[in-house]
Amino acid sequence: MSDLAIVGKWTAAPGAREIVTGQARYCPDIQLPGMACGKLLYSPYARARIVKLNVSAARKLPGVFAVITHEDIPGENSYLYAEPDQPLLAVDEVRFQGDAVAAVAAIDARAADAALAAIRVEYEELPGIFNPLEAMQPTADQVLKGHDNVMMSQVYRTGDVDAAIESADIVIENTYRTQWAEHAYLEVEGGVGLVDHDGGITVYSSCQAPHRDRMQIARALGMSESMVRVITPYIGGAFGAKDEAHVQIHAGLLAHAAQRPVHLIRERRESILTHVKRHPMIIDYTTAATKEGQLLAVKARVIADGGPYSNSTHEVVNKCGEFIGGPYNVENLEVEKIAVRTNNPICGAFRGFGAPQAAFVYESQMDDLAHKLNIDPLQIRLLNGVETGTKMYTGVVVREASGMKESLNKAAKLIDWEKRDEIERNPKPHLRRGFGMATILKGAGLGRGLNDHAGVVLEMHRDGSVVLKSAAADMGQGIITVMAQLAAERLGIDIASIRVARADTEKAPDAGASCASRQVMVSGNAVLEAADSIRDTLLGLAVRKTKISKDRLDLRAGHLVVDGKPHEMTVKDLALRAGVWGYPLHAESISHFEYPTDVPEVTYRYSTEVFQFCTHIAQVLVDCETGQVTVEKLVAVHDVGKMINPGGVYGQIEGGIAQGIGYALTEELIVQNGLTKNPSLENYIIPMAFDIPELEMEVIEFPEPVGAPLGAKGIAEAPIIPPAPAIRNAIYDALGKPLYQLPMTPERILPVVNLDD
Amino acid sequence: MLPGKNSEERKPVDEVEIKLNINGNVTQVKTEASTTLLYMLRDDLGLTGTKDGCSSGDCGACVVMVDNKPVNSCMMLAPQAEGTTVITVEGLEKDDELHPLQRAFGETWAFQCGFCTPGMLISCYALLETNDDPSREEILTAIAGNFCRCTGYQGVVNAVQRAAAELRTKNEDTEKTDV
Repeated sequence: MSDLAIVGKWTAAPGAREIVTGQARYCPDIQLPGMACGKLLYSPYARARIVKLNVSAARKLPGVFAVITHEDIPGENSYLYAEPDQPLLAVDEVRFQGDAVAAVAAIDARAADAALAAIRVEYEELPGIFNPLEAMQPTADQVLKGHDNVMMSQVYRTGDVDAAIESADIVIENTYRTQWAEHAYLEVEGGVGLVDHDGGITVYSSCQAPHRDRMQIARALGMSESMVRVITPYIGGAFGAKDEAHVQIHAGLLAHAAQRPVHLIRERRESILTHVKRHPMIIDYTTAATKEGQLLAVKARVIADGGPYSNSTHEVVNKCGEFIGGPYNVENLEVEKIAVRTNNPICGAFRGFGAPQAAFVYESQMDDLAHKLNIDPLQIRLLNGVETGTKMYTGVVVREASGMKESLNKAAKLIDWEKRDEIERNPKPHLRRGFGMATILKGAGLGRGLNDHAGVVLEMHRDGSVVLKSAAADMGQGIITVMAQLAAERLGIDIASIRVARADTEKAPDAGASCASRQVMVSGNAVLEAADSIRDTLLGLAVRKTKISKDRLDLRAGHLVVDGKPHEMTVKDLALRAGVWGYPLHAESISHFEYPTDVPEVTYRYSTEVFQFCTHIAQVLVDCETGQVTVEKLVAVHDVGKMINPGGVYGQIEGGIAQGIGYALTEELIVQNGLTKNPSLENYIIPMAFDIPELEMEVIEFPEPVGAPLGAKGIAEAPIIPPAPAIRNAIYDALGKPLYQLPMTPERILPVVNLDD
Repeated sequence: MLPGKNSEERKPVDEVEIKLNINGNVTQVKTEASTTLLYMLRDDLGLTGTKDGCSSGDCGACVVMVDNKPVNSCMMLAPQAEGTTVITVEGLEKDDELHPLQRAFGETWAFQCGFCTPGMLISCYALLETNDDPSREEILTAIAGNFCRCTGYQGVVNAVQRAAAELRTKNEDTEKTDV
């Protein structure tokens, strides 16, 4: 096919009209006849024994349809992201502030609140375990009886780290600390459960993984999966915290118990207290290098506080370790990955799966090294950066890495890096200006050896209109637009002719979770394959009619195209012909993430092999009197392989930068003895319009050679990763003092300020 | 329910009848006296375009126009809206034609998940009512209380400026026709 008609072009999202007119229905907007209001009772304690739990008074209240505790769960009382260690409703102990204890369904919110108030719970508060370093000790009390507090402890080694450190000209060793971070999507978690005519359960779910939800709901109800259906309405953001299930299982349980539809939407405060957070980590990191700045070895120890239950902690900490050396050629690397159970907030997936914490550390180290060796931060990165064909410390041979150095060079050019010293560094006695960069990599896909596939169903009707059915959840990241563009491109029609059904487990095959920047690749490939199958049928019919050989034919702008010129026959004509003659224009395709086998052994378990590369450079102004940091400018260059949907790509980059700036400077869940002190959008400080500088964003395209639709390799996670280290390095440049803890609040900046410097 | 939140026993509810103009229609509605304007719109009138992001006035997802001013409808009791003129996101479209702002929001990808969009649109609509050529600074001021977690705010600035330019051209054309 010749140049692209739709892919890479700006286009409004298929659902844009619904969104701007207020017609888009999210979980809170769903209204069904006879629908009850569902609510959950959560633990007020970080750790307590449940001495008594009595719901009989609550059950007798007027307007109450159902009150359930762990005893009323027909199937398994556990979540199952990976390990079934978190109860849906607490049994004998609550282990974090937010463990659910009981669930109610009542005629309205007032009656549901009254039912919650009538539930008698007698708690015996227990001493909690809040310090991960203490929790790790063999003598420590077990957070979860029968389970080691150390839920993960692995060491990965390549090369001879100790010998390399021994031989190095310079060794830099630091300890870094990161915070609990909150996703703060605008639509809080919610679900609507209802009973089908045959006793099955349908749940509308604000989620990232509809088929995994279905499995979990069926498991909790003790039903077969065929009796459970999960539909995602519009979803108001997710960023990882809606990867594992939240209240949708309870919505199903309550609907089943009440035998009527149940609307279960968390309040904001409940949301912040109960859903997973980004893991706080303590990372010890040693970098060894030659005096020319060549990296020789990296040695790291990562300790992550996962809260009481495993959720996706294993995956997050494993990914943190996978990227711990950054986008650099490091021959000798050792990383010890430890995840610990505590009675602190539960942690799980948040955009980047541990890569943001890793990048904060390896990019800070890079600048510490550059400062010590008096090498330009750009040059030291260019010197060590991976290239196409580099065998990484994970054993992965990078198939396309041009974006690494190209993003560095482009970003440096955008901000005029070489001339940064000509900018006024000290505009007022109390103000210091600085520049800092960070370059990162993040893998797309789940990783080698993991089940990573997606399916779609595509149908063209006899009027030429198309329905695309996929169970890939669109939380706003735009997979629906991407799929519509790819199908439209191959079928030679416009996007408006394609109706994309929202994810529904009864309409489409499993597409897995919308996570790990994977859907563009897996669902994208499935769409191309299905569209090509229908395209083949259409072109076959065109050959029969026109007697022109297939290699001269194409479909474009609604027409059959012969030798590049529009033919009078339209795609609609061909679709009608197919309908009349009985050629079904129906295709189903399941695509698996591709991992070539003719490569050297990949030694790091579950490694990804397709990388998003990007560089951000920040210009900051530090007020030495208040400790306030203003990001004055930020340039971002991202390699996306091939840009399918520019609106979505730039939106992802800008939104990621905004989240990254928050992670760097203001966002921190303050937790004392397991209790969250700032569970509101008033006190958890998120960047608003004035906190984001005017951004310069540039997309570069180095098509991924294997397994990527038209070379596209995803964008979702990368943008949140570099802002924190870039801003940290800019503050270092401004003040001449490095920081080792996030977020970099005035309280942490003022102690290192010395106006005499 | 989490500790700290007041709970009430079930008791008779004080209902009030409110008359106001919503999106050009004079509307009479019976609602609980303690209901917020947000939940009167959503639950009693089925206008679910206006969103609840925090119920504490921090996020701006629930912004509607009340007598030509953008307000957080979660912070206003329904009875306070008696006799007012309210415009919600559902009221921006006229005769099946999108307001230029609505179209521009879609074209410039001023949103991704769209949950902040109804409030964001109304804040920008309010700005354009009084300023037909807003600067970046003025737009940021107008949306300073609207929180977007997906996309940031550059797309919104672009959309508002694009819509403002379109509206100015339209007005010039109208003036010419009037002459």
